[in-house]
Amino acid sequence: MRWFFLILFAIAVMLAVGIGPRGEKFTKPPLYVFPDMDWQYKLKFQKPSDFFADGQGARRPVDGTIPLGYDLPLTEDDFPVGDTYYRTGLFGDFYGDGMPDAVAVDEKLLMRGKERYQIYCTACHGTSGNGQGVVSKYWQIPPTANLLDPRVAGLPDGQIFWTITHGKGLMGPYNGAVPIEDRWAITAYVRVLQGAAAAK
Amino acid sequence: MGNIFPRWLNFLPLQVLIALGGVGTLIVAVIWYSFTPKYTRVGYEPQQPIPFDHSLHAGQLGMDCRYCHSNVEESSHSNIPNAQVCWNCHGPGKVKSDSPKLAVLRQAMDTNSDGYTGEPIRWVQIHETPDYAYFNHSAHVNRGVSCVECHGKVNEMAVVSHQKPLSMGFCLDCHRNPESRLRPIDEITNLDWTAHDLDRDEFYAYLAGKTGKSADELKAEGPEKIDQEALGAYLKDAWNIHPPQDCAACHR
Ligand code: HEC
Ligand code: HEC
Ligand code: HEC
Ligand code: HEC
Ligand code: HEC
Repeated sequence: MRWFFLILFAIAVMLAVGIGPRGEKFTKPPLYVFPDMDWQYKLKFQKPSDFFADGQGARRPVDGTIPLGYDLPLTEDDFPVGDTYYRTGLFGDFYGDGMPDAVAVDEKLLMRGKERYQIYCTACHGTSGNGQGVVSKYWQIPPTANLLDPRVAGLPDGQIFWTITHGKGLMGPYNGAVPIEDRWAITAYVRVLQGAAAAK
Repeated sequence: MGNIFPRWLNFLPLQVLIALGGVGTLIVAVIWYSFTPKYTRVGYEPQQPIPFDHSLHAGQLGMDCRYCHSNVEESSHSNIPNAQVCWNCHGPGKVKSDSPKLAVLRQAMDTNSDGYTGEPIRWVQIHETPDYAYFNHSAHVNRGVSCVECHGKVNEMAVVSHQKPLSMGFCLDCHRNPESRLRPIDEITNLDWTAHDLDRDEFYAYLAGKTGKSADELKAEGPEKIDQEALGAYLKDAWNIHPPQDCAACHR
């Protein structure tokens, strides 16, 4: 009996050492104790799928169609109906000025613009828009555009919208992350920043 | 008839019982301790294709979570950013564009790099609910639940690891008692925020903006000290928050 307990104790110690405390860092995929129905054969966000030939779970819309609730494509050639200025910032080949009819400039829009500006733009252009954001110091090829510069203040609204959409120079396009409405909201907020700087 | 069985054999059944009890206790202890997400998942920290550092990007550079996880407010799913998002800063002529750590990114984005594939970066998913449970980010993030409640202090992690069990018990703990976790919507992605950061005057001014009453009126009737419970109870009431507890809410 004594031996039995000694051995049991030894096993317990070995198990305790083997299991270790909760919350230890590990890199192997975790153990699923009862894996029933944990992984169902269905499409999931940002996951590959072996059902489709290209191996991607995410599907493109069928050619010539637009899913409900999605932004329309960017150029008039792609889809020549609706308010193209709202979608492109362009009238024909020229940058338009002023806000499109679909966007009402009110406090709500400006608050939204401020929030979105601080999420997507401050890293490089700085909170005040002066081009001195934290990240701008790290760029190999400076400088980051100063949005308060009279040159930028003189640009038409449509061009600012277009620049957010497509990027310019070293700045990347933000049409993926920022939906059209928010791009107009940011444009409006940039005008506020410029106004505040000019008033000083 | 002599004694066929020796005397010690009388104790055998008892000994067997004790032994089984000992072994049983050990098995139960092992299962109790380690067959729970608290053990199986917490601390999971897979090797990622690029050693991406949240403590640098979200902590030191102060980037908002939504710069990269841009769908989190609109969608049930919080997206991992695509390579273009990294390319905004790590493209040619920008930040550390030829760092060896970013080789995988260049293979995905830079047509001139050697080994260009154009394939998406294969990040390894860390937090994952089983497919039979339904989870929705936007339902939480727009109702005052911060990322930190379910993911820990990501802004201090050099490598993201699983910090909370995300088991059913964990979900329900909060659904039964959300007061201790709610905060103003503007502070959702500010993981270091605590209710103590709220100045009393500021708090009532904030509330006054959200309700019809003036800051002074609210101050007179509101709690003396602004702590998490007072704030949470207030927000729960004001936003009419009732996290579901019925099975069909999550197992639909
Ligand atoms: C510069 C872009 C960027 C920013 C900003 C950022 N993340 Fe991430 N995040 C990523 C990438 C890329 C991954 C995937 C690689 C990894 O897990 O490290 C990730 C992974 C994660 C994961 C783990 C996902 C999983 O697989 O389960 C969580 C949780 C997370 N981020 C939360 C946050 C929070 C909270 C913030 C804000 C404090 C934040 N992130 C800011 C890019 C970013
Ligand atoms: C807003 C700009 C910005 C974005 C977007 C960004 N980074 Fe960075 N990243 C930086 C800065 C700034 C540094 C610090 C460079 C330094 O320390 O000199 C950095 C450093 C890094 C490093 C370390 C490089 C080295 O050699 O030390 C890695 C790896 C990295 N980032 C990966 C990523 C990935 C992956 C993404 C996309 C999810 C991403 N970054 C998005 C700005 C950014
Ligand atoms: C109420 C809890 C909760 C909150 C709050 C929360 N998350 Fe999550 N998060 C989860 C769960 C659960 C998963 C796993 C979801 C799945 O399996 O699809 C997850 C997954 C993720 C992933 C990985 C998705 C993937 O497919 O790889 C990221 C990134 C993420 N969360 C970021 C965030 C950010 C950023 C915030 C704050 C704005 C946040 N989460 C707030 C619970 C939460
Ligand atoms: C920190 C608190 C907290 C945690 C943790 C939490 N929830 Fe919630 N949950 C909430 C709140 C608050 C709501 C919103 C209730 C409302 O809108 O009235 C909510 C709502 C929900 C809803 C209803 C959404 C809808 O579309 O109606 C579901 C489903 C849900 N949670 C699932 C989960 C799951 C699954 C987990 C665990 C991975 C979880 N929650 C963890 C606080 C939490
Ligand atoms: C707040 C959301 C939520 C509610 C409400 C909820 N569950 Fe769950 N349940 C979960 C999540 C999340 C998991 C997955 C846990 C995990 O990842 O291990 C789960 C897992 C389970 C499992 C599988 C456990 C396992 O390890 O295999 C069962 C069975 C279950 N739930 C039954 C129920 C029943 C019965 C109810 C109603 C009384 C209920 N659940 C209500 C979120 C919920």
